[in-house]
Amino acid sequence: MSQNTGEQILLFSDKREWADVVPLEQYEGDPVAPIFYSETYKDATDYFRGIVKAGEKSQRVLELTESIIRQNPAHYTAWQYRYETLLAINGPLDTELLLMDELAIKYLKTYQVWHHRKLLVTLSGKPKPELDFITVALSGDDQKNYHTWSYRQWLLSYFNNEEDLWSGELDFVEKMLTKDVRNNSAWHHRFFVVWASGVRSGEQDRERVLRRESIYVKQNISLAPNNPAAWNYLRGMLDHVKVPYSAVSDFVKLYTVPFDPSRPDLVDLENPPPSQEAQLPCVQAVEFLADVYEREGGKENIEKAVELLKKLATEYEKIRKK
Amino acid sequence: MISTSSNLRPTPTDAFPTLTSLAQSETEAVLQEHIPISSNAPPPTLEKRAHMQFLVRNLIQGFPGRYTSQDASQPWLLFWTLQSFSTLQVGLDPGNKQRAIEKILSWQHPDGGFGGGPGQAAHLLPTYASVCALAIVGGPGPKGGWDQIDREKMYKFFMSLKQKDGSFLVSKHSEVDVRGIYCLLVAATLLDLLTPELVEGTAEFIASCQTYEGGFASSSQPYFSAGDAPTLLKWPRPSLGEAHGGYTYCSLASWVMLQPFNNNGAYTPKEDKPSINIPNLVRWAAQMQGNEIELGGFKGRTNKLVDGCYSWWCGGTFPLLEALGVQAHTGIPLDHKPEVQDSLEDLWDDVDEVLYDREALQQYLLYAGQHPTGGLRDKPPKNADAYHTLYCLSGLSSAQHHVVPSAARQAEIIAHWKSDTRPDVNEDLRKEIYLNVMSWTEDETNVCILGGSTNRVNATHPITNLTITHTEGIMAHFYGQALPPRQRPPPPK
Repeated sequence: MSQNTGEQILLFSDKREWADVVPLEQYEGDPVAPIFYSETYKDATDYFRGIVKAGEKSQRVLELTESIIRQNPAHYTAWQYRYETLLAINGPLDTELLLMDELAIKYLKTYQVWHHRKLLVTLSGKPKPELDFITVALSGDDQKNYHTWSYRQWLLSYFNNEEDLWSGELDFVEKMLTKDVRNNSAWHHRFFVVWASGVRSGEQDRERVLRRESIYVKQNISLAPNNPAAWNYLRGMLDHVKVPYSAVSDFVKLYTVPFDPSRPDLVDLENPPPSQEAQLPCVQAVEFLADVYEREGGKENIEKAVELLKKLATEYEKIRKK
Repeated sequence: MISTSSNLRPTPTDAFPTLTSLAQSETEAVLQEHIPISSNAPPPTLEKRAHMQFLVRNLIQGFPGRYTSQDASQPWLLFWTLQSFSTLQVGLDPGNKQRAIEKILSWQHPDGGFGGGPGQAAHLLPTYASVCALAIVGGPGPKGGWDQIDREKMYKFFMSLKQKDGSFLVSKHSEVDVRGIYCLLVAATLLDLLTPELVEGTAEFIASCQTYEGGFASSSQPYFSAGDAPTLLKWPRPSLGEAHGGYTYCSLASWVMLQPFNNNGAYTPKEDKPSINIPNLVRWAAQMQGNEIELGGFKGRTNKLVDGCYSWWCGGTFPLLEALGVQAHTGIPLDHKPEVQDSLEDLWDDVDEVLYDREALQQYLLYAGQHPTGGLRDKPPKNADAYHTLYCLSGLSSAQHHVVPSAARQAEIIAHWKSDTRPDVNEDLRKEIYLNVMSWTEDETNVCILGGSTNRVNATHPITNLTITHTEGIMAHFYGQALPPRQRPPPPK
């Protein structure tokens, strides 16, 4: 079935077993803005229109739709028809999933490859192997693929199985953040797992979870302070549990001033200091501190906030005002 | 303020390189080559002729074979091309208009809605693109295209996609996401199809897509109560995916289009009214604008790269925020403003003037967004394409012009309002839906065109991404209204 072998591709119109189908050309009228299709694409879609018109749902429709999908993975009508055909002929889901393993990696950025998977897994009811597949898909060059991350989040919440699915997520996301602490997709996933999806088993003590997360995000900020993804996680977490930003002022202040070489090298988990290489002061920290002052209110604090924001606007970031 | 390539501060990497910071540094190096070396350099030019040639080539000769990947987006290819012409202040001749109308109608599905090509299944995204393309080239009458839209079937098609959580599938057996909702709402608003039944629960769904960062995600996951009659739970209702420019624009524009339902008693009691966190959204959207070294372009997500198309998706959120009452100088909505005395108010006054730097964004588009041989693009050294050409131009338009809902315009429209006599129509709601789009007007005292008036492009309606004239034309037709003439200010002497 595979067509990427470099051999001469046989057109459907050349194949004897397709001789009974009447191909249907696309209506072009008096053409404006036409696309210059290849002969193989035109041939396959002509036969597809013929099949759809006849309403045929059979094994050979899988061959035809695969051919179209390989040439244009965004052809959603071909995907829809393929899905309906699979249902109609009770096609084997495991074979289909194997094909999808190949196509998903090949066409990572296409909505349809991920959605088709979702339909298949909903039918098969076997989400667990999917997590490993996604982990592989996210280990390549594209560690921020939107569809892949949201598919993982859908799997977790739709099947919502504590032991098989949720239990490994913190480890997974930690591995992804260790690879790239600036990967905002991974930070969002952490928020999804820890805060946004209800309370996981073993996480009922929310004070403890808050402490753990707080230490985790601060440690990661200390590694590379100029990282808005980590600062946004810190803000989001505090907003979520309704803890005022001032609760972390001591930590934040370390990042709003130039590096202090005379500072004693103490291990303070609550307030991990920036590394010697950190480029300080850090914009996100200054903005955070301004927000602390603003929220506390009162003339003196507002003045402090305004002063910080002015400094931010003139020195560090000329474009982005608050 | 114009950047020059000297003295630009690279994004700090804290001597801790990762894939993200490496990609960022590479992009900054490429962009730096596109910034003029001295501040005496001539102002940048919008190469209108080259872009016109690019567009005409696509329209008349057609799209090269690599566009086969967009064979299921034929209405988009046409919409991007036509709307780019409109933005460049160019209209089509009657012959090409008629050819375009016939082509668009060939995408209409016999069961309602439009597909990505002739014979393709109906889908919300091409439905928006087809209706908007018809707004540009079509008109009333037997060959005009507008009256050939099967509105009743389109409404049934919309209802067939509706989900229990207020969202919509983009097509049969397909995914849910806020792009589809935006497309549905624009089509339904323009064609007078918006009803409480259609959008029940949709505002709540949109609100649930807002992430902790402030921007919006593609979708959210509903949880239902256990038992025989499962009901949708208010929590958890997590967003699927991180905050993203495209989804944020679609969510916010949808939110604005749903305002008439918010105001019209659809939500009582008041505590059940869905809400979004506007200060967080403002902060996130402002954060998406790159620094000087990124020429003030927008990125689509935290720690991703700038891309010309986000000039519209992110830049285009600011006028929508203004419509929701966000004050330009503090970014705080009127009704969220903390109680402060006037003296404190004054303290804020000299902090910021605007929510984003309109001039810097134009720099990005003019210096980096234009392909030397015509068309606009993501970033150098990429090729131009139809999609980026439109969204770069729309972003440029949004940066040049200040389009806002105007109370004066609203009063004119109300004065000319013709009542609907059908017994089953909620007249107040229908009027409010109409005003919600029709009251937008360009504030001509607040135009900012980098490089001078030869770079001027047409103003774009912040909700539809059509020109204001095209938006008004099609809506007045479908709502059976006459358009009150606009009071133009006298031309400058």
